[in-house]
Amino acid sequence: MKRNLALLASFSLVCAALTAAPAIAQQTTLNVVTAGDQNMVDYIKDFLAPRFEKTNPKAVVKAVGTGPGDGGSQKIAEKLQAQKGNAAWDVDVAVIHQKMAGDLVREGLLAPYVRDVSTGRLVTSEASKNALGTNVQGYVIPMFQSQIAIAYNPALVKNPPKSYEELAAWAKANPRKFGYNGIKGGMSGVGFVVGWVYANTPDGDKLMKGPYDANTKANWDGALGKLKEFNRSVVITPGNAGTLDMLNRGEIAMGPVWVDMFYTWIADGKLPPNMRLQLIGPGLPGQPMYYVIPAKAANMEAAKKFVEMATSPAVQAEGIVKKFNWYPGIDAQHVKSQLDDKTWNKLFVDVTPQELASKGKVFPIKPYFDDILESYERKVLN
Amino acid sequence: MRAWIGRGIVFGLLAFIILGPLANLALWAAAEQWYFPHKLPVVYGTKFWEQVFKPRGDALVSLVTSVWIALATVAASLALAVPAGYALARLKLPWRTAILLAFLLPQAFPSLAVYINIARIFYEFRLNGTMTGVIMVHTVHGLVFAVWITAAAFAAVERDLELAARNLGASGLRTFLTVSLPLAAPGILASAIFVFLESLDEFTGTFFVGVPDVITLPLLMFTASIAGNYQIAAITALVLLVPSVVFMLIIERFLKADVLSKVGA
Amino acid sequence: MQDRGRLGVLLVAPALAAVLVLFIYPLGYSLVTAFQAKGGGFTLGNFAKAFEFYSVDIGFTLVIIVVSTLLIALASVAIGGYLTLGENPLAVAVLRWLYRWPLFIPFVVAAQCMRTFLAKNGLMNNTFVSLGILDVDQTIGFLDWRGIIITFVWKQTPFVALLVAGAMASLDRSTIEAARNLGAGRLRILFEILVPQVMPTLVVGLILSFVTMMSVLSVPLMISGESPTMMTVDMAFRINNYGDYGTANALGFISYLMTATCAWFYLKRQIR
Repeated sequence: MKRNLALLASFSLVCAALTAAPAIAQQTTLNVVTAGDQNMVDYIKDFLAPRFEKTNPKAVVKAVGTGPGDGGSQKIAEKLQAQKGNAAWDVDVAVIHQKMAGDLVREGLLAPYVRDVSTGRLVTSEASKNALGTNVQGYVIPMFQSQIAIAYNPALVKNPPKSYEELAAWAKANPRKFGYNGIKGGMSGVGFVVGWVYANTPDGDKLMKGPYDANTKANWDGALGKLKEFNRSVVITPGNAGTLDMLNRGEIAMGPVWVDMFYTWIADGKLPPNMRLQLIGPGLPGQPMYYVIPAKAANMEAAKKFVEMATSPAVQAEGIVKKFNWYPGIDAQHVKSQLDDKTWNKLFVDVTPQELASKGKVFPIKPYFDDILESYERKVLN
Repeated sequence: MRAWIGRGIVFGLLAFIILGPLANLALWAAAEQWYFPHKLPVVYGTKFWEQVFKPRGDALVSLVTSVWIALATVAASLALAVPAGYALARLKLPWRTAILLAFLLPQAFPSLAVYINIARIFYEFRLNGTMTGVIMVHTVHGLVFAVWITAAAFAAVERDLELAARNLGASGLRTFLTVSLPLAAPGILASAIFVFLESLDEFTGTFFVGVPDVITLPLLMFTASIAGNYQIAAITALVLLVPSVVFMLIIERFLKADVLSKVGA
Repeated sequence: MQDRGRLGVLLVAPALAAVLVLFIYPLGYSLVTAFQAKGGGFTLGNFAKAFEFYSVDIGFTLVIIVVSTLLIALASVAIGGYLTLGENPLAVAVLRWLYRWPLFIPFVVAAQCMRTFLAKNGLMNNTFVSLGILDVDQTIGFLDWRGIIITFVWKQTPFVALLVAGAMASLDRSTIEAARNLGAGRLRILFEILVPQVMPTLVVGLILSFVTMMSVLSVPLMISGESPTMMTVDMAFRINNYGDYGTANALGFISYLMTATCAWFYLKRQIR
């Protein structure tokens, strides 16, 4: 009697499970994996996901963050490399930095999806074709363009320095009032170091455009020596957010930050509203992050739809520019028409379009990029 | 009276050193806005609690993940450690010294490098980024404590009681189940609690093996902290602390001095 | 009898297998990879690179851990001593309740606490400023290698103190009473009678702490910005940003050497 009951119970359970299974199976989970700070994950979860799920009711977006800087992109690359032999991969859309994008295109791990989405023709920038020297055309659409600038507290810094040279002198006169996050805590620190090399060596253009010459790094000893000296009078902060945090608490008066993070933090009340930005000469780098679709993504069609939605002018205007203070990834004119002048100009209060054009640099091509990072570890940290 | 002034200063300092950082955590958990030059939060509130525990939020998922992993780890560790502890305490073992050494090794070597390589090996077996992988790493980490404490617990059971049971005709297994196990239960429970806590709080192994798919509560806290979200980090930290403090009170009852003194002996 | 031996092995086997597969094998892998060049083959290049890039950090790791261990030893002996020799029962009870708090705080949480406590305008300095001990401009932030030491000592002292206090409590009180009767001060009793007798327990606790501190990643990552920092941060950096297992494992090998040297000193004392 008891055994019969038990059998009946299990049979019903199995039936229930079988009927439920198709219903659950009909839902597709779109796996979006992004490198970068928490703001990237928040953007996907709080802004893009609800929008996508509204127009695609059978889809659920799952957002995963892998951490800031190239380490985060490296994690995504490792995930794809580990699944190389499988038929379908568990990453549908990925957002990665330039360095890794170049590597992944060369390894054939990305799908050339741009020709299949309608927004592909809206982006013609150099960044969409060239990632640190590697041709990535057709494989990437920039999600946004971002720029590093020096944030400063005008109450504590009356005459902000206009160039790296002035900055070095200021830091020496005001020890431990400038902070940056080195090269291990996030890309704003990396960008600062790159800008230092651009400013203190004559190789600037060669570093950005190539060709690569392994002997160039031998010329950097002077610049790196000066950087080591500079480091003695500054504070090394624990990350992109670390710099902003220390600025907030008055522990430093100046530091390199991502322009978008800067404006977002002010909007969130995490940074005093009187803070300003200065783009020092000869320039600081900026970078895009790319939407890419892995070559064997399990939900290729949904992935393409997701990227198409995310790069549409309306979403770029509302999400990228208005909500998160990034410069748009697709060409600016498509986005500007969707916004009122006030919102658009807010991006250019401290850093004017002209300054952006002349002092907004790109990161060096990959081999030089690696050389700079290694030389920093060898000569400045050690 | 004079002695108490001296004691007061020393204890005051000690309390500041020990409880200060914890008070700091509590303040950040209750703060909504806190910036320089204010010495205390500017605005208190529960806004961030709502953010942390919102339905679509990461914190609940991470909490469930962490607890689930911890429970699975306890089950796995005990399943391995109880027989091993019994064998070490009661049975003759060939190569006893070598076996003891093997169980001692994880406590003798800094484990970071080992975790890095476990991650790489798991990579090849597609275990990286899976719950199973994380549970395996936590189990080995906890196994060391579990084996030692369980062995000490079984050793503390009076042999006479077991011999009496054998004399009355009970088989080895029956003796184990009805005499040794119940008597060693408090010690085994203590090791279970230890393993649970170690797993709940484990950071380094999960950092290499679990990220980015398996996000436990410590990892979530770490991410929030690095991002400068101190309120969220503080709240998550408090959530992590609750099981620890609760079990600290329970563990006081079970970890008697003689069991403790046999640990690591 | 043979049966029981085999039974013993059978019971131990699963646990042993777990440790072998999930610890000893990766450990061996680590040791071997430290000496492997990118394409296979033996090389010392990884060590050369490790020293070239991280010699400062290697040095600082040693300094941080040795200083922490010494401070932990002092603090735990002091706490254990007071608990054993303290004359006022209320004071002893207060201490017993107070000192255990950090014991059950995981390292990650301790790091988070300290990150805002030790900052230049963190709670600690703010308290000093409020009490008038320091001026706002004089405050120092401890978010560097000193903060790491403070966090380690804060977290590990209760553990060692627990072991030491337990060991002291199980000592024969007659020696203490005899010394008291002869007029010895408490400090003298502590160092000449108690400490020598609990030395084995103290050293075990310190070695365990040494190894634990060598493995911690969260604390240096969250407290110290960059260089000098601990080797664990550099190892994580090598792996996460470059996938450079060679150098990371070389650094791991160096950390094994450090621990082994410390353990060797202990064993040497024992064998004497």
